[in-house]
Amino acid sequence: MNTTRRTFLRRSLQAALGGAGVSALGQLGLLNAAMAAGSGTTFPDYKALVCVFLHGGNDSFNTIVPRDASHYGVYAASRGALAVPQNQLIALDPLADGLPGDGAQYGLHPQMQDLATLFGDGHAGILANVGTLIHPITQQQYQQGTVSVPAQLFSHEDQANLWQTSRPDDGNASGWGGRIADLMHAGNPNQAQSMLVSLEGQALFQRGDVVNQYVIGSYGVEQVSYLNAWGNDAGAAAFNALLQLGSQAHVFERSYARAMNSAVANYQAIGAALNAAGDVTTAFPNSRLGRQLHMVARLIKARNQLDLRRQIFFVSLGGFDTHGSQSDVHPGLLGDLSQSLKAFYDATAELSLANQVTAFTASDFGRTVSINGDGTDHGWGGHHLIVGGAVRGRRFYGRMPSLAQNGNSDDAGYGQLIPTVSVDQYAATLARWFGLAESGIDDILPNLGHFASRDLGFLTAT
Amino acid sequence: MHIDGRTGGLCRPRRIAALALLCAAPLLQAQGLSHRPDAIWRHGFEAASAGPFSDAEAARFLNQATFGATLGDIQHLRQVGYETWFAEQFAEAPSYQAPFLDWAGQTAGVYQQQRLEAWLINSVGLYDPSNPPRVHKDQLRQRVAFALSEIFVVSDQNPGLELQAWATASWYDMLAANAFGRYRDLLEGVTLHPAMGVYLSMVGNRKPDTTLNIRPDENYAREILQLFSIGLKQLDANGLPVLVAGQPVPTYNQNTVRGFAHVFTGWNFNDCSTAAYPDCVGDYHAPESSAMRDPMLPFEAYHDTTTAKQLLVYPNVALPGGLLQPGGTARQELTAALDNIAAHPNVGPFIARQLIQRLVTSNPSPAYVGRVAAVFNDVAARGDLRAVIKAVLLDVEARYGYSGVNTDRYGKLREPWLKLVQLWRITAPRSVNGRINLLINPSQSYGQAPLRSPSVFNFFRPGFQQPGEIRDLGLVSPEFQIATDTMLVATPNDLDWRIFYFYVGSSYSYAQDPDQLLMDYAATLNPLAADPAALVERLNLLLMSGQMSPFMRDVLVTRLTALTNANGGRDRVQHALYLVLNSPEYSIQK
Repeated sequence: MNTTRRTFLRRSLQAALGGAGVSALGQLGLLNAAMAAGSGTTFPDYKALVCVFLHGGNDSFNTIVPRDASHYGVYAASRGALAVPQNQLIALDPLADGLPGDGAQYGLHPQMQDLATLFGDGHAGILANVGTLIHPITQQQYQQGTVSVPAQLFSHEDQANLWQTSRPDDGNASGWGGRIADLMHAGNPNQAQSMLVSLEGQALFQRGDVVNQYVIGSYGVEQVSYLNAWGNDAGAAAFNALLQLGSQAHVFERSYARAMNSAVANYQAIGAALNAAGDVTTAFPNSRLGRQLHMVARLIKARNQLDLRRQIFFVSLGGFDTHGSQSDVHPGLLGDLSQSLKAFYDATAELSLANQVTAFTASDFGRTVSINGDGTDHGWGGHHLIVGGAVRGRRFYGRMPSLAQNGNSDDAGYGQLIPTVSVDQYAATLARWFGLAESGIDDILPNLGHFASRDLGFLTAT
Repeated sequence: MHIDGRTGGLCRPRRIAALALLCAAPLLQAQGLSHRPDAIWRHGFEAASAGPFSDAEAARFLNQATFGATLGDIQHLRQVGYETWFAEQFAEAPSYQAPFLDWAGQTAGVYQQQRLEAWLINSVGLYDPSNPPRVHKDQLRQRVAFALSEIFVVSDQNPGLELQAWATASWYDMLAANAFGRYRDLLEGVTLHPAMGVYLSMVGNRKPDTTLNIRPDENYAREILQLFSIGLKQLDANGLPVLVAGQPVPTYNQNTVRGFAHVFTGWNFNDCSTAAYPDCVGDYHAPESSAMRDPMLPFEAYHDTTTAKQLLVYPNVALPGGLLQPGGTARQELTAALDNIAAHPNVGPFIARQLIQRLVTSNPSPAYVGRVAAVFNDVAARGDLRAVIKAVLLDVEARYGYSGVNTDRYGKLREPWLKLVQLWRITAPRSVNGRINLLINPSQSYGQAPLRSPSVFNFFRPGFQQPGEIRDLGLVSPEFQIATDTMLVATPNDLDWRIFYFYVGSSYSYAQDPDQLLMDYAATLNPLAADPAALVERLNLLLMSGQMSPFMRDVLVTRLTALTNANGGRDRVQHALYLVLNSPEYSIQK
């Protein structure tokens, strides 16, 4: 746990609380109001980051696939029955300054026509072989153990957590989305509403030391019916009396009361904002990811009602842990991902915010290049997608790894590929575009200095 | 942004003095009363396993060991005492779900909804239409099975299990059958059940084939170690991580995972054949078929016999160097591997801590974990779950830990789904035809439902820390992980719907359906409603084990007294139930 930093943040908070104005917006509102009291400036523009987390570890080697004869041959030999047929791949035609660098030509999985369109239009980029790292590491260094690597490689929970904290050296770290918000939320005009929103439950990525995430469902906000029942004012008063902070003698009871009060305050504010802003007209797939991104688009549309100028969203899609039946399961997931990202991009264009909203994928890990019969196992590095108007799209970034099963210097063993880009670098590039100062980037990503580049270049400077 | 004035509960704690004045309590008369629970009177000289000595103590025990105390169970427990109660529960006929599905399948299709129906009949202890006039009474077994289902996770959200109700039902039955057995047998049941085979893809796992670049599937190998037995870090006898140079020590590495992955090759559905081995996984299996409910079988042609397999290494490990030499059959190697896991010193504290968290408290003291682990580690009867369960529930910290130095942090957030189950335990619910149609998917309203976890990591993790005070104090609070803004509203609303609309005599349209579980307020709580204090005291005993604070009691009695005692007492009962079930004090089981 980064005690020093948390102590600092809390001390700032306590100091600011002394002069805080009166607010009826609950603990979250007070915390935020307090933090804003000292800063004074707000962002003039709007920006949003959207983390699309692919739970289980996406098989990115079947997502972005070599299609020229020689590289496809290597891939097909490694992938056997799981290889995507060469003639079904959707060809990608990158710009001259965004070639993959390994001389190969690549295509997308046949279910990803929408993503291919985004790529061709310059609104999507591909970042090669990203993974959790403490330092850059070669195969020899990995095998000899001379350079430290993150703990519990290839384990879901640990690696999914490290992707979200980008602190492989600290098992208790908060999420990097949350840490960005800790440093930036004071620039939002409205301090009462969290700039961190998660769909489908609490996300470690969105856990800050100061800012609490708001968890909303894809279908919008529901109200506590008992509080709104006709003629039940006295019942509601009793309900609230029991929930009033100060009425609990137990740590967990207070925490429950705080969470409950915060939920009520949030749905009142967000429900009103969503109603006032109305829906987007862009159609979304009625899929799990489509519904989530639809809600994100609605919340972005409600940014003025919410009075927020920086927002970070977390959406997720599960089922990528394709140890078995991969050929049955994976295509549908990629189709959902592709269609939902395209609809989301279109919705931001509808809102004239395409250049101000960036979506990016993350996942537990890549998968093994080798197969286990009808599926693939837990790997390490994997490719990722960045989508938005600010993306310097139609380009590959980083170095595409070899997919050879033998004599492969990218292979940590069993086809688990050693990443050549760290999550730190990925996060730093996104955070810089989002408006975080260099000192702030160093604060949230203390291991960034271990890597050569602080900016991978896939986003336009603003 | 406008915030409604009724949400006065948002005021900060009094340490921010300036704000306290603005936070006028809606019910001023309650302010002078204690916010701490009343002490449960107890004898000071007996062992923890003596007793219980009061109705409240009995209720408190039953609320940990069962799905909810009832007046009858309290009375019985007080008559026979803990030891006899355990003996009775261990001897009680086990309730299983598969027979209910067999019966239900005679007249209609059987899906996961029917499995949930069987779960409710067994866990609430309802009249069983598949086997009248049986009423299920094996509460301890069912409660422990539910706890085990949150440690050994299989989920009907998996595409391969979604339509396989017998697979998930028989999985739960396997947990219930082993709940009072040995851990080693449980681990084997877990490993070979086809539901787990599908869920973590051990079914159809095959030996390496270098030509096809096929390696054994590592999925089950990894999770059996990380989640079902030893965890990632070496633990001391009290379950605390062993630190070397300030860092935890890993229990295994990737080579170990590969070793176990090779061991777990050559297993498939029991209707498979060697010739069809690679295709059996994708073949259609009828939900009621034996293949979906009985253990997987070995197929030697697909079992790896050529490699030495690195298994776990620990002091006095039976296999030299933890290395399993090649040549064994699939079953021989499986036996050796499960023996190798079950004898690891982590298992006792790892399993003990999680059982304590599921049944008693989120933050047990290391000594409590150590005492239960020591029972687990009994040389003559290692992993005897009967003894372990007794040790969990009769430990001095289970019985008396709520008082004393940890009084403000002892206990756990109640699982939301178990709030509904406890409501039904005390309201004598029944449907006209004995069937139960929930009308909704419980995970939408409660964030959980039996065997419906979003992943193998359960609905919540043992180490989750709710941000804020809990995290700052270094405490864990697993169940808070699903206390999201969405669920904190959805759960009270479903409880609201059921309390106010689904009761015997209701005129609500859905309540007319013969498969709706209707609570019988008239037979249970209505008679107390004329005296609000008596009604509140009854709910305090049954739902809160007598731990309601004077403050909360006063809020409730004041509210109920102001409410006209209409509809034979039902109005007061409904409001009392709703207010208790959604209160912070009840929500934390202490």
